[in-house]
Amino acid sequence: MPMTTPSSPRLGFRPRSLLAVVLAAAFGLVATSWPLLAAPGGALTETTSGPWLFALLLPVVTAVALIQLADGGMDARAVAMLGVLSAIIAAVRPFGAGSAGVETVFFLIILAGRVFGPGFGFVLGNTGLFASALLTGGVGPWMPYQMFAAAFIGLGAGALPGSNAAAPATRSGRAVEIAMLVVYAVLASLAFGLLLNLSFWPFAITQGNLAYVPGGGIGENLSRLVAYSAATSLGWDLGRAITTGLLIVLTGPVLLRVMRRTARRAQWH
Amino acid sequence: MNASIGVGPRRRGTHPVAWWGWALLLATAASRTANPWLLLLIVAVSGLVVTWCRGDEPWSGAYRVFLLIGATAIAVRMMFYIVFGGAEGTTVLFELPSIRLPEWAAGFRLGGAVSAEGALAAVWDGLRLATLLVCVGAANALASPRRLLRSVPAALYEVSVAVVVALSVAPQLVSGVARIRRARALRGNMSRNPVNVMRTVVVPVLHDALDRSLALAAAMASRGHGRAAGVPTATRRATSASLLIGLLGLCAGAYALLGTATPAPAAWSLLTLGAAAAVFGIVFASRRVPHTRYRTDVFGPRDWAVLLSGAAAVAGTVLSGMAEPGTIWPATSPLAAPPLPLYAACGVLIAAAPAVVAPTRTRTGTG
Repeated sequence: MPMTTPSSPRLGFRPRSLLAVVLAAAFGLVATSWPLLAAPGGALTETTSGPWLFALLLPVVTAVALIQLADGGMDARAVAMLGVLSAIIAAVRPFGAGSAGVETVFFLIILAGRVFGPGFGFVLGNTGLFASALLTGGVGPWMPYQMFAAAFIGLGAGALPGSNAAAPATRSGRAVEIAMLVVYAVLASLAFGLLLNLSFWPFAITQGNLAYVPGGGIGENLSRLVAYSAATSLGWDLGRAITTGLLIVLTGPVLLRVMRRTARRAQWH
Repeated sequence: MNASIGVGPRRRGTHPVAWWGWALLLATAASRTANPWLLLLIVAVSGLVVTWCRGDEPWSGAYRVFLLIGATAIAVRMMFYIVFGGAEGTTVLFELPSIRLPEWAAGFRLGGAVSAEGALAAVWDGLRLATLLVCVGAANALASPRRLLRSVPAALYEVSVAVVVALSVAPQLVSGVARIRRARALRGNMSRNPVNVMRTVVVPVLHDALDRSLALAAAMASRGHGRAAGVPTATRRATSASLLIGLLGLCAGAYALLGTATPAPAAWSLLTLGAAAAVFGIVFASRRVPHTRYRTDVFGPRDWAVLLSGAAAVAGTVLSGMAEPGTIWPATSPLAAPPLPLYAACGVLIAAAPAVVAPTRTRTGTG
């Protein structure tokens, strides 16, 4: 089959991959934020099995999006590069596990997504967190959500404006690129914290002022969610945003250069 | 001692999918009850099976970590109850100074009376979450992740190869760091300055790892890996269409579940149809990938027995839910020791069967 091979380990992003990713994002939005979106009297507020169903269906949705992305567009270079970068993610992840709010994974996914493009970032978010969960025996009900969120963080980093493969020519251009990545990292970390909170909020607490009220509607539940987030995870979310931004400022210039060099060297066709 | 059980040409312990199925079924049983006796029984059964059936691989210690996480879940739930309140009761244990937050800060009450009934309800509830986590921990300790990767659908072949590469590269990375630090020390550079460490340790390790990945890619490409397999365009289109239709169905079903416009049965069936189409697409896409497997991992009768024993626990709780609903969801006020639901307890005890059916082979046995 005459298929144009990409000139570096970048994944082709064809219309149907794009469609699959958009649909997966729509599903993920419902799977995480159903406590806010469910209308009183709707089918989801009448039963308790809905959220479990979402946690089981999320891997299926992720698999479909991955199959569409990988189908014919993934060569040996992409596979090898994904493997090595996932190993690095798995190796640095334990550094952030012990201390509250220190997140050592996102900056790598964001920088790699920036250099190798949105499709690569999406797959890397999945394989990196999956490999680290397998290595540490940390496979749990939270893993589908984390993989899904990390995948979209990598995808978004690749889709930011500006060229992926070539570094900006001027010193100020490179500074602007790092600044853009830092702003993106802070926003993505905060959104990640809120969505992850939403996904397990109804399980974590079931009684009292901070609990989710089935069928309460968005007005009732939003104020409870804000109070719950402030009481439990605000420190973690801010810590995650700060450490990710700081790590990008400190390591970004070097890591971008190293990865872009590899991307150039991989053009052997 | 059980040397005769493990002997078979391709027998290598229980299939990891069977362990995950067993653990998730046990977790389903735990999610259907709030009876503390039953929950503790589930924890005991999972602990028994883990001690009898786990190997001595690096991940086998995961169970203890998940026990700790479960204990933390109970403590956090208890703290939430004491600070933010919950179920009210008449037996007041002690009274905390209470503050009512102003309206603009959601108007919640902090502190106040702590009653025995409310505390008990919080503990039972935390115990349920802890039991779910412990079941997942049992699966982590029992199932081999490398064998689990072999069960990934063939359509995700490239992605699973990337994960396999990651699992084998991670130890090399650690040895790479040690090698480069030794070389640095031999050059007399013992600086702990972060900028210096970044330049002389982190960058060489990264270059080394990425260059190695290029060498690996060249080796894989020269052996024909990653070439587009000769799949007819029509088949490719059909697979793709089935996958996308499945996704669309899942999305439509999920949104229909949120609103009130669509009747619930229609929304559920839309979701089910979407899931079926997506799974069909994945299976179909796996069929057309012409990759052969070395030593396929068979799902044998013993794996089915493990899975069925887990199903017995769910069946027991369902039966108890119909026959004796008061025991499955015991009331905490008035204070009373909750009774033990009979059918559910029998079902959970059956779920301990893997300890007898699939124990670890002794190292002096078949090996």
